[in-house]
Amino acid sequence: MPTGTLDATFAALADPTRRAILARLASGEASVNELAEPFDMTLPGVSKHLKVLERAGLVSRGRVAQSRPCRLEAAPLREAADWVESYRRFWEGSFDRLEDYLRELQRGDDDERR
Amino acid sequence: MTNGDDPDAGRPGLAVTRVFAAPRELVFRAWTEPERLKRWWGPKGFTTPFCAVDLREGGVLLYCMRSSEGRDFWGRGVFREIVVPERLVLAMSFADAEGNVVLATYYGLSPDWPLESLMTVTFEELAGATRVAVRDEGVPPGPDADGTRQGWAEMLDGLAAYLAKA
Repeated sequence: MPTGTLDATFAALADPTRRAILARLASGEASVNELAEPFDMTLPGVSKHLKVLERAGLVSRGRVAQSRPCRLEAAPLREAADWVESYRRFWEGSFDRLEDYLRELQRGDDDERR
Repeated sequence: MTNGDDPDAGRPGLAVTRVFAAPRELVFRAWTEPERLKRWWGPKGFTTPFCAVDLREGGVLLYCMRSSEGRDFWGRGVFREIVVPERLVLAMSFADAEGNVVLATYYGLSPDWPLESLMTVTFEELAGATRVAVRDEGVPPGPDADGTRQGWAEMLDGLAAYLAKA
């Protein structure tokens, strides 16, 4: 994983407004006005959050006339999800074997059982 | 924050839970006796050829995980809290073969891994079964610095379906 990318991604995700913006963009492109609608926030306020998301590479802006629609960029999110996934994999693998081991123990075919 | 009776419910980080069809004492021993830990610890495809446990507060759990390619990854945990057979709290780190704490980069992993992360394991007795919950606060440093790490894991969960399509 490239240095700092995950850091920027998780920092961007640490804010509930930014998470809501990303969740909205997951269903399709939107203008800044559309993104501002559900929030009790000024356009500059929303723009500030968008800048953080853009810097983290999570959002890109289109070039359609003046609207410059916002788009979700999935790659850094996938990287963050991969990180979480590697953690899950550790525990899924461990738990699968623990399950087998406990079953074995209870069948009584393990000499260690005291 | 109010989270009912579970003192850990609102804690940030990742949580993994599984119910095992075995009595709690047995599950707890599988977690705290080295010969038993070696039988199951580690991700799929890994073995655990070495494990030592000093089960007391301040004591160390040291283990070596070996990948299918034969690469060794050492790790250690310092017991912060032990409530037999209910609860374990460990400060987990990567380590070298001597048990010294090392950065994740020592093993070529992301520098975003924290040097130490707190892992809480709870063992809950069900009828003849045991629910094990592992909570880990080992998240990258950005959200830590912000003091608002909560929520990102849920966010990623929520986006998993989207990412599968993207």
